[in-house]
Amino acid sequence: MQWKLLSPKKIVLPNGKEVLEKRSFMPVVWLILLVFIFLSIRITGFSLDVLVNRIEQFFVILQQMMPPNWAYLSKLWQPLFDTIKMSLFGSVAGAICALPMAVLAATNITKNKGIAMVSKFILSLLRTLPTLIIALIATFIFGLGTMAGTVAIFLFTIAYVGKLLYEQIENVNMEAYEAMQSMGLTTIQAFRYAILPQILPNYLSTSLFCFEGNVRYASILGYVGAGGIGLLLNESLGWRSYANVGMILLMLVCTVFLIETTSEYCRKKLM
Amino acid sequence: MNAIEKQLRLQPNRRMSYIMTIFIVGLLFIWSVTTVHFDHVSANGTKIAKNIFVGLLNPEWSLIVNMTTAGIPYLLIETMAIAFLGTIVGAVLAIPLAFLSASNIVPKPVAFVVRLLLIIIRTIPAIVYGLMFIRVTGPGPFAGVLTMSLTSIGMLSKLYVDVIEDLDKSILESMEAIGCTLMEKIRYGIWPQLTALFSSIVIYRFDMNLRDATVLGLVGAGGIGAPLIFAMNAYKWSEVGSILWGLVMLILVVEYVSNRVRTKLVKG
Amino acid sequence: MIEFKEVEKRYPNGLLALNQINLQIEQGEFVAIIGLSGAGKSTLLRCINKMHDITGGSLRVNDVNVHQLKGKSIRNLRRNIGMIFQSFNLVTRVTVLKNVLVSFVPNMPVWRKILGIFTEEEKRKALMALDQVGILDKAYVRVDQLSGGQQQRVALARTLAQNPQIILADEPVASLDPVTAKQVMEDFKRINRELNMTIMINIHHVDLALTYATRVIGVRSGEIVFDGRASEINEETLSFIYNNTNQERGVTDYAMEAAITEKNSIA
Repeated sequence: MQWKLLSPKKIVLPNGKEVLEKRSFMPVVWLILLVFIFLSIRITGFSLDVLVNRIEQFFVILQQMMPPNWAYLSKLWQPLFDTIKMSLFGSVAGAICALPMAVLAATNITKNKGIAMVSKFILSLLRTLPTLIIALIATFIFGLGTMAGTVAIFLFTIAYVGKLLYEQIENVNMEAYEAMQSMGLTTIQAFRYAILPQILPNYLSTSLFCFEGNVRYASILGYVGAGGIGLLLNESLGWRSYANVGMILLMLVCTVFLIETTSEYCRKKLM
Repeated sequence: MNAIEKQLRLQPNRRMSYIMTIFIVGLLFIWSVTTVHFDHVSANGTKIAKNIFVGLLNPEWSLIVNMTTAGIPYLLIETMAIAFLGTIVGAVLAIPLAFLSASNIVPKPVAFVVRLLLIIIRTIPAIVYGLMFIRVTGPGPFAGVLTMSLTSIGMLSKLYVDVIEDLDKSILESMEAIGCTLMEKIRYGIWPQLTALFSSIVIYRFDMNLRDATVLGLVGAGGIGAPLIFAMNAYKWSEVGSILWGLVMLILVVEYVSNRVRTKLVKG
Repeated sequence: MIEFKEVEKRYPNGLLALNQINLQIEQGEFVAIIGLSGAGKSTLLRCINKMHDITGGSLRVNDVNVHQLKGKSIRNLRRNIGMIFQSFNLVTRVTVLKNVLVSFVPNMPVWRKILGIFTEEEKRKALMALDQVGILDKAYVRVDQLSGGQQQRVALARTLAQNPQIILADEPVASLDPVTAKQVMEDFKRINRELNMTIMINIHHVDLALTYATRVIGVRSGEIVFDGRASEINEETLSFIYNNTNQERGVTDYAMEAAITEKNSIA
């Protein structure tokens, strides 16, 4: 029955020619989606009723955030700079370490299949773990404070930049590299002069993009005690001083907007 | 001066800008080094690191095979359900917002305002939304779904806009010549161009949401995050180990499947 | 029958694109319109299905006054007039068949329109159209995997599926290579002969125009300066149509020579 449904249907044209019509999978896909949506609604207890009736509660906190508590601003600079520092250090160090990792993981440079496999696996494993969870584990090892957040961002950056980078390295034009090797350059020298110029703009742009995202992530890492402005966010939320929360969010939005605009400008210049 | 010398002099002088860039980045880097400190790392730290490692290697199997609502399989399914429903709701709501922020469809000022709104939505951390939604729904996965929807809107509409801004509009001219109405033009000229790319973006976002859904547990918005954090705070490292293994496996499988589906969608 | 009577088209910016056009085209003719870029060829074509509206005179298509049509009646007129474009204008992300099926959309009931469900009869008609242009085997291939010539054939099949009485083609071969261009022109010729459809074609390649069309219309700055059989065209008329009194002489001379050699070789 199933197979009959999926097998192509024959259409005969008036002039006698036959065409096999491919069955569309769309109805099946829609059915599966609907079943999943239904199950998810059951599991999560989603209820439109509650949403419509109580949505004004969402704006209660939002209203309490307005106007933000400007007096709180003076206390925010240090944690804000901590957050930026954490993401900056983590991103730069991570991007630098991602380069050798990516080279090891790229099958066209690393001839040893085993090493490439292991490097790829480590990269995807690192990417799997949510940053906040890594930060949490890091607070147990490095103690509370910015160090834990930096480590979490560092690891995430390696994984993110590393993955995109090795995909690029695997797609570069290998002819120049082979030519240079035939001229007697070592692997590292040939990589430096044949591959690096091809991937450099993309590498820098990816790293910048990652840095943008990291600022956002870094802002919540304090929630688990990993330093930065998240610490104050957690505190203010705990004390329900929502005017302070409003101030923190306002600061964050401005900072992220500034960093995003600058980095977008730099990325455009790179390309 | 011969021709070769002349050519040598002509080499573009970009050394200055390189040095400046490296100098600035270096300066910022040094400024940020203060975040690195090892003074909190005590002997305790290395001991804990060892415990974590041991715990990861000896996961607690009873949790993995536990089929009740406290077991890992159910928690993973709940996390998936939160991410799935959140992505779907976000994906639908992001469509009008994306059209409203596409500068080739609406007037520039409207597009700018909507974009600003989207940046604000994107920047507010998920945890804050989580707390706000818990007021609406009470603690539990429902709050998680709403949080995921809102954060997805921010990212999805940004990605949708790129697709909308390079739509191929020449098809509309030929549909006009066939005698199609506006609705028919949208349904058969615009819609088919959008669906494949939009679905690819949505699947990518589901991938990300699955990761993000694990942290919602921090504020009591459901999913596997809460048991994970409880286990950590109680130093039950083998429990942590089994949860992390389950999580890693789930995310790897979902990532593999979603990559396959997306390649098929984009390349046909 | 298409009938222009003293048709005038003036763009809002004051440019007079068509001036005093008088023209009568019978059912089943194969007309090529030649002229410099910007001479008004495209405007002439687009007035016929009211993609552009005329500003003076009268234009009748099968005894319907095009100028007076509005809304639904314009769409009904367009149902009977096929149009082909230089850039193919297909949805490249879906299959060939789905592109052809679009031509049935305006006649479908609303619920099927929304769901995108086509009847077997419609599919059969669409496949027949594909067979007529010789790409039946590509029916379930995505358009972006086809060559330019094949894509133009999909566009042609989409128009055929409409079963129009008139086909308007705006530079249909301008972005194709010479060999493919000839094949597409052959398709037009065959359709013209077998189905007795009127074909009006804007074309830059004078040689192709003279080879395939039965009637040639020369347009120069919005006026018809030549109207006659392809065989009546000679160097003098061509140079008059192409207005080559100045620096453009060289180019046109070359095009003309090529055209005449081509004509001779075919004859």
